[in-house]
Amino acid sequence: MKESKRKNSLSQRRKNFSFLIPFASLRLTITLLSLSMILIFVATLEQVRIGIRGALAEYFESFYGIWYYPEKFWGGEYLHSLPLPIPGGYLLGGLLIINLTAAYIVRFQWTGKKIGIQLIHLGIILLLVGQLVTQAIQEESRMTINKGERSNYIERFHGVELALRNVTDPDQERVVTIPQNLLEKGGTLIDQSLPFTLKVHHFGVNCNFDFVAPGTPKSKIAQMVNRGVGQSANLNITDKDEDFSGDGMNFGYLVFELTDQGKSLGNWMTISHPAGSHVWSQISPKLADLSFQSIRHNGKLWGITLRQKREYLPFSIELLDIEHENYQGTEIPFNFESDIKLHLDENQTRRALVYMNTPLRHGGKTFYQYQMNDSANYTVFQVISNPSWLVPYIACILVSIGMLWQFSFHLFKFLRKNSKTPAKA
Amino acid sequence: MLSTLIQNFNYTLFRFLYPLPVLLFILSCSEEPKIESFSIPSEYDGPIVSWKLPPNWGENPDLSGPMAGSFHVKTKSGPQGRIGVMPFRENVSTVDVANMFGREMGYPPFNQENLTPFLQEKKIGDRTFEWVYLNSKVETASSPPRTALLALLRQDKDTWLFPFIADQKLVLKESENFIQFLESCSLRSEKNKPILARSPAPLPKTGNTNSAKPLKNPWSWSKPSTWSEGKASSMRIGSYKVAGPNGTQLDISVTSFPGDVGGLLANVNRWIGQIDLAPIQEASLDQYCSSITLAGNSAHLVEAYGEEKAVLAGTLFLEKESWFFKLIGNRTLAEKEKSNFISFLNSISLRGETE
Repeated sequence: MKESKRKNSLSQRRKNFSFLIPFASLRLTITLLSLSMILIFVATLEQVRIGIRGALAEYFESFYGIWYYPEKFWGGEYLHSLPLPIPGGYLLGGLLIINLTAAYIVRFQWTGKKIGIQLIHLGIILLLVGQLVTQAIQEESRMTINKGERSNYIERFHGVELALRNVTDPDQERVVTIPQNLLEKGGTLIDQSLPFTLKVHHFGVNCNFDFVAPGTPKSKIAQMVNRGVGQSANLNITDKDEDFSGDGMNFGYLVFELTDQGKSLGNWMTISHPAGSHVWSQISPKLADLSFQSIRHNGKLWGITLRQKREYLPFSIELLDIEHENYQGTEIPFNFESDIKLHLDENQTRRALVYMNTPLRHGGKTFYQYQMNDSANYTVFQVISNPSWLVPYIACILVSIGMLWQFSFHLFKFLRKNSKTPAKA
Repeated sequence: MLSTLIQNFNYTLFRFLYPLPVLLFILSCSEEPKIESFSIPSEYDGPIVSWKLPPNWGENPDLSGPMAGSFHVKTKSGPQGRIGVMPFRENVSTVDVANMFGREMGYPPFNQENLTPFLQEKKIGDRTFEWVYLNSKVETASSPPRTALLALLRQDKDTWLFPFIADQKLVLKESENFIQFLESCSLRSEKNKPILARSPAPLPKTGNTNSAKPLKNPWSWSKPSTWSEGKASSMRIGSYKVAGPNGTQLDISVTSFPGDVGGLLANVNRWIGQIDLAPIQEASLDQYCSSITLAGNSAHLVEAYGEEKAVLAGTLFLEKESWFFKLIGNRTLAEKEKSNFISFLNSISLRGETE
């Protein structure tokens, strides 16, 4: 009676969700898993050429990637020119989620006996969904603090913003930020907080820049600049592809025009430094103003900077001390340690030690020890913001419980069966 | 009973799974990028100046370099004259300031003694200014005589310079406006905060940032054929010499030190001192320095010529060490060897990149 009820329930579901039956195929699962293995293999090979970030963007954070067979491999001279489409992480991950969900609905029996299998699959689905969510919302930033000082903002490793700061008031400044997406779109940007209109002429994520002697021909991009550092330092810039390699440095650039009531105030050029705009003054006194190009307009002092995208935090971190140890007799780092004080609201403080594998978790962000420089007395934290960080843990717990349930069920069944078998004389 | 419970439990799970596509759809709809505006406590360390401009003066929007304010006089023939506000962190001498503008006006270098006739004190409001009036000594038929009127204000430990450079007639006509402008100025100095954080590149993976051991030579280079091996020294990673006629000589060295050994200005002043030139301020670094690329890194080329001697140097400040590629010696020989030295600098690359 119970068995037929269960079967009825499954057949009812198969009837209701008949459109899901093709997606629940086990063959599809095997195919997707095999393609995933190919994807990992190809991306690992490509990592050597384009770096981890490049491989992630090209193959895992996309629906498909185009791969060229390596020239050095067997037959490479003939096959290298052939573009091979490889299914990307989003496509395979998405299809796996659909496949598992469909199987869950139209193939699995929802019985106590099979609850272990169901939990395992639910855990895997959760793992895949969690990864997708992480890809979509996780943000990686850094926080640089000088010893004895406090910082209350983090800067993204990738992605820039144009910051326009009205610093006329010595106590408080008004900041207007324009995100990279809008700069990429180009056109004319208007905001009620700005007393002028900003027209984007050129924007790029990376460039080559250099000083040139007066009279030397410059690129079209640089030719139109008639104000600011671009003009005073006679800078020439040329567009460059984004560098995805691990230690690649991308210098975003922007050439823009400011106008007030249709009257042009001039064309400026600004460049972002991937290590922070404070570095410009150390590279050359001529470039120092790239960290703050002053513009006076209607009696107000404005500063313009193209900088790594910044996020201000509702708390600040003070660096009290730093410590750095090597393994005895070697130059291999054993420990980087930052002694910090967290300044919260209403004069509340909290002391913490941040060191390798022991991050600080606060306000939904995790601060990992990333870099340190004893001689210059500063530390750098890598700051990860990932609201779905618990999902993989929950998924693993679900899979573990499912496996435990399933194995225990079979074990008890086996033991019961054995105990019923009469012992031989 | 149990089966009903399990059944219900499974339906609960199913209900949890059903909104998944909806959840994914919501996640895929990311927020539209937009311009944001917010206020924060001031992080600006630079000088802040406010003033009341005379009605016939206009403001120049671009403030590159050390200027905190820049103006012109509106005339029928367009904007004329250069009026500025320049803050100095240090207490610069009046002689130095006069020399900054004296050359343009055709004067020989000033000293304390020969500047006195041009200098007077002027009380404007509650403040006392040093007033330097330099009339142009260079006159051509095409351009009328010019005047540099320099007003210096000592406030706390800082010096504020207000230069007014224009045709003599215009300076005379606008002198009353200039005085009113100076009286209206309120000034906040630049916060004297050293910049410590410097991370121009990711740290190497081995990550040792505090090595006190002698630095190994990571570079390779090509030695020009005119150079021969020079004196060996524990301080030198490379040492060469060039012998010229009449016993003239050039000494070329490659040295490295942990840290930035005082930075660019301190080293430039040390080197120009070796060829009997006067030390300079940071604002004048451009006089001797230009930017170059050394082995793919941004670096400086220092080029200074004294009366008899000259120094050429490539300086490379890395995260934890400084590298100096320096040529010093007879000026004539140095000028002749300059192209070889530049080729030498261009040949520098990381070991392994060329090997």
